[in-house]
Amino acid sequence: MELALQQKLVARLASDRAFREEFFADPARVAASEGLSLAAEALVQIHHEQLRQLARVLRRRRLAQVGVQLPLTRKALGARFADLFRNYAVSPAPGKHPYEDALGFARHLEQHAATQGLEPQWALSLVRYEAAQLEATWLGRRLVLRCLPHAVKQLAALLAVGDVPAGSYQRFSPALWWRASGSSRLKHWLG
Amino acid sequence: MGRKTEITNLLANLPRLGAGLAYREPFRDQLLQKQPEVDFIEIIGDHYLDAPPELMDELSLLAEHFTLLPHFTNLSLGSAEGVDPVYLEKAASLIKHLNPPWWSDHIGFTRAGGVQLAHPVPLPFTEEAVDVMTKNIITARRAIATPLIVENVCSPLIWPGAEMSEAAFIREVLSSGGCGMLLDVTNLLTHTANHGSSPADFLAQLPLDRVVQVHFSGSHDSSGRLVESHAQPVSEAIWKLLDDAVARAPVRCICLERDDNLPPLAEVLWEVERARAIGRHHRRWN
Repeated sequence: MELALQQKLVARLASDRAFREEFFADPARVAASEGLSLAAEALVQIHHEQLRQLARVLRRRRLAQVGVQLPLTRKALGARFADLFRNYAVSPAPGKHPYEDALGFARHLEQHAATQGLEPQWALSLVRYEAAQLEATWLGRRLVLRCLPHAVKQLAALLAVGDVPAGSYQRFSPALWWRASGSSRLKHWLG
Repeated sequence: MGRKTEITNLLANLPRLGAGLAYREPFRDQLLQKQPEVDFIEIIGDHYLDAPPELMDELSLLAEHFTLLPHFTNLSLGSAEGVDPVYLEKAASLIKHLNPPWWSDHIGFTRAGGVQLAHPVPLPFTEEAVDVMTKNIITARRAIATPLIVENVCSPLIWPGAEMSEAAFIREVLSSGGCGMLLDVTNLLTHTANHGSSPADFLAQLPLDRVVQVHFSGSHDSSGRLVESHAQPVSEAIWKLLDDAVARAPVRCICLERDDNLPPLAEVLWEVERARAIGRHHRRWN
């Protein structure tokens, strides 16, 4: 049981930035508030910098996995994809599968766009397009429809060959995913 | 027959696969065309649990062309909370479906107190942690008849209060759990380099007779620390360690992991071919 508590504490420290910094400032108080006093006593000699490095390793792994799930978004945002992910991944991943983390990050990007904007503006259409694709693929939805205000098909083609699209690319793009039944194959149409 | 002999015999009878690749979707179509250059494909088993039909179609397509080796992360064999029985049942079902010669997970944990971690975190090198790993491995082996091999992990974190060396910990886990080893030479090199120890000494202390599979991949330097990023070409230091390991361990296959910053497939297959030649040189296969 002691190891279970120690693992619980290390998992929180490695994945929750606010908890980690609070803990480093006052280990006894924070551990007691979480019912982890015994674990904290056993780990009193744990190396704080090693824990911060572990947190970075775990975040980089999440970033790589989410990048695979959101390839167009990653290409569209370039280096800012990692910067924005750093702000998102201050708390643990929402589930075991990378698609869950990708959907969480897509929601974070939506909120970021709403409050601080997101450039280029067409990047948000790609975020919404890829999030819808993940929902249709993994969440068992029979029908998913998105009406996107940018030329998603054209943008995807340009990004796929490594081009950096310049311009506004404003054009209505309907995107539809559907399955006849839960066990049938996903169909997709992008206008 | 003693238990150790029984396990050694079991591992000795595993097929010699050669050199292969961890599967990444962007390579799919080209891989099917290059089938003769890839002796097997390793898949991330976790990705195919509760998967939609089109992903299972992809898996079936791969299975038609390659021997598939399922590799897991999220069984969390090092969790003191125990193995999630629902997850184990799903993994067992996938492994039964694929009928591989063996399957693998890690010597570490990815789940604790409701928190899911994206990568296996190491365990303290204590008898309690050996007992936890042993119990979970035995639970997994009871559910899955296919031989299990477990992988050494790499981490910046070393738990305080170690009761033994890391190599001794791995030896005890393999011995009491009755399983083989997946030796990741990049993890080994990165881990020892970042903690100021010798990769050769670490390798010499491992139970090399239990090594069934070897992982290797590229790494890079970040602020004076090695990072096993799986995103770079394989360095000469890793090639040398791979050669040392294959010379001394009865490996059945060598698997290249390349996850990010993907080059043209030809570059990846060149590294696979070099690994195959290492295995051939040490008479691990023809």
